[in-house]
Parts: sequence; structure tokens; C-alpha cells
Amino acid sequence: MRRVVITGAGTWNGFGAGVQAFLEALRNGRCAIGDMTLFSTSGFRTHRAAVAPTPEVGAAVPASLAARLSRSDRMALAAAREAWQASGIGETKLAAERIAVVVGGTTGGMLEAEDVLRRRRSGELGRMPVRGLVAMPVGSTADVLAHVFGCDGARNTAVTACSSSANSLGLAADLIQDGRADAALAGGTDAHCKMTYAGFNALQALAPDVCRPFDRRRAGLSLGEGAAMFVLEEEAHARRRGAAILAEFGGYGMSADAHHMTAPEPDGRGAVLAMRRALREARIAADAVEYVNAHGTGTPQNDPIETRAIKEVFGEHARRLAVSSTKSQIGHCLGAAGAIEALATVLALHHGFLPPTIHLEEPDPECDLDYVPGASREQRVSVAVSNSYGFGGNNTSVVLTTYA
Amino acid sequence: MNRDELKLSLKELLIDGLRLQDLRPDDIEDAAPIFVEGLGLDSVDALELVVLVEEKFNIQIPDEDIGKRAFASIDALTEYVSTELLKSPE
Repeated sequence: MRRVVITGAGTWNGFGAGVQAFLEALRNGRCAIGDMTLFSTSGFRTHRAAVAPTPEVGAAVPASLAARLSRSDRMALAAAREAWQASGIGETKLAAERIAVVVGGTTGGMLEAEDVLRRRRSGELGRMPVRGLVAMPVGSTADVLAHVFGCDGARNTAVTACSSSANSLGLAADLIQDGRADAALAGGTDAHCKMTYAGFNALQALAPDVCRPFDRRRAGLSLGEGAAMFVLEEEAHARRRGAAILAEFGGYGMSADAHHMTAPEPDGRGAVLAMRRALREARIAADAVEYVNAHGTGTPQNDPIETRAIKEVFGEHARRLAVSSTKSQIGHCLGAAGAIEALATVLALHHGFLPPTIHLEEPDPECDLDYVPGASREQRVSVAVSNSYGFGGNNTSVVLTTYA
Repeated sequence: MNRDELKLSLKELLIDGLRLQDLRPDDIEDAAPIFVEGLGLDSVDALELVVLVEEKFNIQIPDEDIGKRAFASIDALTEYVSTELLKSPE
């Protein structure tokens, strides 16, 4: 069976550019949640969000293409460039048609489309400009990445709400395992936009100050934005060329709650099924897992249900493993969350530490696991699970392990 | 508007209309292809550029064949626009 390893990673998020900045912020328990500066939040229940800096497009992209990229595209491009360069895949003899591109996202170029609509309605624009809207479809990011990096392989986009980029990693791994590709540029990207902010505000799902996963005072999530991209590669190919391997993609599991548009199924059955399927695919026994990067949104509904699901899957072992929510630090990056949190998990495996759940000070009695509260912990980890759950009842769990 | 002024005005329209930052009119060669090679513009840019030229000069680019010839280069576009302007009643 073909195995899949990670030979490059890149990110752009509320902590700024690159994997190193993200690693240091995770280790130091920093918080990227501040004021929303991209648009007015007047009248909303919160004004907070984790806002990423705006990335430069870079000289390799033609000016006309650069001018119409969305913020989501730009962040994906920055993350992909870092992953691509780190992996060295561009210098191999691998044929372009053997490299796939799979991206996860939710709103694509919505922020730019909102601006075009505002300018059109105010009379500033006499007509709808084609070039202002071509970046709007979520799938356009994968097109941009494939063009810039010259990937002629399979291309796909996963749009399953907040599990999108956990699924994009799984889909990319499938392509490699099935022999449809030998490598893939895979991950997720999502920029802030008014529609999302207003939507979560209307659902009363936003924390007024900061997201406090598993805390009894938790009052919702904080929105974040960013991108994380990986180079996934067939293991023998990576080994033959002497690539530095960050981690192995063990497997993934998907399930659906046919239950409610926004609320998780109360018993966490879908979450349990996704974790069990991921472990089965990875051929990992539940008690071998040392760390779970939780979905951990900090909403009243998610955290106790996810805790219950973890207890169901791991039994007594749930008391021994560590669970944490990276959303406490960088907010909920929606379509990019699965990939960014998979990166946090890969960094935990590669550097031997447990990322923390910050802002967790008063544990909820219903959330009684080891959530690594407040500060990270130095500890070797070799098997980890990353959970991503999306509106509509989309559940995905990913198993990542150290490469041996 | 003489030919050189028209040329400059077309280059400025291209740069401003397509938001080609860091590009100056002098960087655009008169005889170089506008699309693919040369400036590296593509079909999405073409859609926008056709409308920009039509609106600015109040002329029509009636079909794709004429468009292809008219937008072959800045020289060709200058030729096309100046000919069309002579036809118009003003």
C-alpha cells in the first residue's frame, strides 16, 4: 500500500507569515485575537477577530493576475510558496501531471465581491467589473495555485464548511494512495468577510471578548483567517529523493450528522464515527494516540459534545491523552481551520510539545480532560488526531504520526 | 488627439483599468503582443479591456475576430481606435 508523508508545510495566519512564527506562537501560548480591522463591526455583539497581515503576491505572479487575486488566494499563495520551497518538490524530476492541487475553503473571494457590490450600489462603478469577481468562486484558489506552481495533476476543492481543509488533506492523500498522483499541494484558505462575520453574529456564536474552549464561561468562537498548505508525497518517492519528512499522514475518517444545520448531534455520534474511521484507516489502536487537536470552538454546544465523543472513542485512555484547541490562539479559521490545525499537530509531532488551550481558566465540569490549559508543554508525541467539524454536520478526523 | 497621445492614453487605460501596479506606460512596447506573451494578459483581462476601450472612446468592437486584430499590440489598437474615431460623427 502506498503511504503518504508530509515533505513541506507553509502557513499564513493571525500570527503572521510562516511556520516558524506559528511554532513560536504555539509554544509561547500567544493570542492572535484582537480587533477586527478589515471592516466595520458596528452593531455586532463583538468587534474581535484574529486578523492576518495582508501578504504580498510576489514577483513570480503576472501583474494582471496579481491584481485580481482575493485575500484568500494571496494567503494560500504565501503558504503554498513556503511549503513548495521547503519540500524541494519543484527541483525533482516529478512530472507536472503527477502533482495534484486540493484546496479547502468556504467563502473564496467574498470579501472582494462585497466591495464590488458596495461600489456598484453606491454608483461608484457604472457596471459590474468582470475582473473584480473572478476570484469569488471558492474553487478559483486551486486554479491560481496550479497555474503559479505549474501543477497539471488532479485538481479539486473541498467545501464542507469548517471541515473543508481536513477533507482537502484526506482527498489529496486518497489521490496519492490510489496512484492518481505522486504528490499534492494540499491545504486550506479562508479570509474574513462581512457575510461570515454577520452570519456568526446572527447565530450568536461569537464570543464578546475571546474564545475560551472548555471553560465554563465560554460564550462562543472568535473568527480567524489564514491558510496552511502542505506538500503531501508518496512515501517511497520522498525517501528516494532524500526529502526531509515532517510527519506521516496516517489516514482520515469522515462522517455526517443528519441532525441540524448548525448544532452537533448531542451524543457526538458523528464525531465518534469520524475518529474511529480515521484510526481504522491509519491502523492505529486508540490507546496509541497521545494528542488530540480538538475542533474546540468554544461554543456552548461543541466542547462538551466533543469531550463526550473523545471519551467514547478512547475510553479510560481519554484521561491519559492531551487535548487542546488551537482556536483559542488563532480563532476559528473556518475553511482553513482543518489545515492550520493539522499543521499545529504536525509541529507538535515534529518538535515534541503539546500546544495549549489558552484562556481556559475555569474548567466546565462537563469538560474534564487534560486540555493543556494556559501554556504549552514539552512532551514527545508520536501519534495524534486532529478533529474538524463543520456546519451542516460535516465531521472529519485526521490521524498524523511521526515518520518512522 | 494625435497618434502619440492616443497611444499614451491607451497604455494608461490598460494600466489603470487592469490595476497593473508597478508598470509605467514606457514599459509597454508599442509592437509587443498585449496578450499571453508580452504583458501576459489573459482572456479575463481581454473581457475587461474591450469594455474599457469601448466606453472610453465610445466605439464598438463588434466581434472576436476584429477584437483579436485590434488588440494584437498597442500599435494595432492605436490604428483601430483612430480609424473608428474618424468614422464617428463628432
